[in-house]
Amino acid sequence: MATERNQKENEARVKRKPLISIPAPVDSLLAGWAGLALWLLLLLLLALYPYTGVSSVALFVGSQIFVLVTLASNWNLIGGMTGYVDFGHAVFFGIGAYIMGILVTGSPLLISPEWGFWQALPASGVAAALFALLIGLPTLRLKGPYFSIAMLGTLVAMREVARVLRPITGGGVGLNLPPLLNRLGDYYLMLAVMGLVVSIIWWIQRSEFGQSLIAIREDEIGAEMRGINTTLHKIVAFMIAAFFTGTVGGFWAWQNTYIDPDVVFVEARTVEMVMMSMLGGLGTVWGPPLGAVVIYFLQDLLWGSLFGVHLVALGVLLVVIVLFMPEGILGTLGDRSSTSLGRLLSRVGRSK
Amino acid sequence: MDQLLQALVSGLLLGGFYAVMVLGFSVIWGVMGVINLAHGEFLMIGAYLAWGLSRLFGLDPFASLALIVPLMFLVGYLLQIVLINRIVERPHLMTLLVTFGVSIALANLFKILFDADPRNVAVAYNGSLQLAGVTFPIVKTIIFGAALLIMVCLHLFLQRSRLGKSIRAAAQNKTAARIVGVDINRVYAITAGICIALTAAAGAMLSPTQAIFPFMGPPFTLKAVTITALGGLGRIPGALMGGMVLGITEIFVSTYVAGIGTNLGVATSFVLLVLILIVRPQGIMGGLRPLEPEAE
Repeated sequence: MATERNQKENEARVKRKPLISIPAPVDSLLAGWAGLALWLLLLLLLALYPYTGVSSVALFVGSQIFVLVTLASNWNLIGGMTGYVDFGHAVFFGIGAYIMGILVTGSPLLISPEWGFWQALPASGVAAALFALLIGLPTLRLKGPYFSIAMLGTLVAMREVARVLRPITGGGVGLNLPPLLNRLGDYYLMLAVMGLVVSIIWWIQRSEFGQSLIAIREDEIGAEMRGINTTLHKIVAFMIAAFFTGTVGGFWAWQNTYIDPDVVFVEARTVEMVMMSMLGGLGTVWGPPLGAVVIYFLQDLLWGSLFGVHLVALGVLLVVIVLFMPEGILGTLGDRSSTSLGRLLSRVGRSK
Repeated sequence: MDQLLQALVSGLLLGGFYAVMVLGFSVIWGVMGVINLAHGEFLMIGAYLAWGLSRLFGLDPFASLALIVPLMFLVGYLLQIVLINRIVERPHLMTLLVTFGVSIALANLFKILFDADPRNVAVAYNGSLQLAGVTFPIVKTIIFGAALLIMVCLHLFLQRSRLGKSIRAAAQNKTAARIVGVDINRVYAITAGICIALTAAAGAMLSPTQAIFPFMGPPFTLKAVTITALGGLGRIPGALMGGMVLGITEIFVSTYVAGIGTNLGVATSFVLLVLILIVRPQGIMGGLRPLEPEAE
């Protein structure tokens, strides 16, 4: 399987180099233009991949992996780089999915010309970003665990709201979207979204904006005293992360053709994002994509056959990673302090 | 007027349950500084145990507490020794992530074991009493009484017994407690055992009044956070007060805001929580710890 090989090459590239050469320069190399060049090369290879005449199943697998990579990178922007650990990020996924469902079917609200997929997809993202603005204004003032819990509350509360607002969302019955199978289109769409998101994260990490986010993570009061408008930075990062998560949610609703509150507003999806980021390396550019790929194939190999077991394993794996590998793959093999939890741990260790 | 009185009574009865439900969460947070996101899942386990015992042996949910409490004490004790004691002194983010992982794993484990179908526990005394024009559902009234009893017992235990004193010492100053010879790890494990047992007991008592399903946990966890923010950490009167406030708020919202029913309980408590945390980050009664990762 060529995709597999490509993905594995990517993994190996990120994985092996810190071991072979001195970690720090390689890390900075990957964070720099070389990293972007390698990323674009990988995207090009992935774009050529369907021309090798593969089955539609392989294309489906590809688009699923791209979805996971996009979600993990998005979560990492707010959870890893900014240090606001969001336990309810799936809420944006759900909102995107519902906006897509409502606009495309049109039926519950009697929107008379139903929107097409291409009009509804950006609308999903925009709606999620607006919701992030709305919910972020109060919640992003909360610190540490309180923010995490407030976002978890948002997720569970929105699940209730979606169930109660029967005239708009179809309630617990859910919405059925028109089934249109286009695996090749899905593949390229998600490839493009993934490429865009990871490139944006790469750019953010180099930009002043990203450095400000990291400053907020390390010391929010200090950052504020240095003249960084912390509220604005946090909100913008939150909205970017929400926009793409909502877009992915809209796409997922389209691909899955069915949504209901328990399918889209689900904590397990947040855990997935958290865990993929943690496994790769929280707060790094290449960690979350790496983690997402590893998780996908791990799921496929180890517990793909038994439905439901993978969610149990997901929870257990999160516990195991936190206990034994809190710095993630990149932090364990390379520069420990490049990941945010690694920094946190080393700082706490110092102060004692 | 009758409606108002009825809403007040229903709110108070619900509040009594909330108060006993939140105790385990609040004491764990207060003593070890761990926010247990798997709180609702232990409640769910308690409810499933009550269901299983009543189905297999015909045990009454309140009688089955005699089995559930020791069993879940053991579970909590072991969980603390195996898992939480390893990370209790690390950054808060880690305990938060670990308990989140535990919660997902448990909920989905129970989904595999028992399906997602809602279960019910039937009791003979499932009626209600009329008193001065107000309806008292019998089960909820018993829960209310049991809640008060449990709270008094816990209060006496924490204030009077030697073990309770060492738990409070560990909560107030870990280092000093260690110096005077308190075995912190053991005290933590016992605290966790008591708290998990209490939570499961609350779940077992809840079982006759509500459908039991694997994903019932998270709403209770969130309500527990709200009540703790209302009433303060590890304080039993605070838990009672916070529980009452949330219970009455919820019932009033569902009584007076049309077309919602009780389905928006979490949304209500979520709004309440965010408002409290923004207006008074230390909680209404004060005493929420400043949870900066480096503060510990």
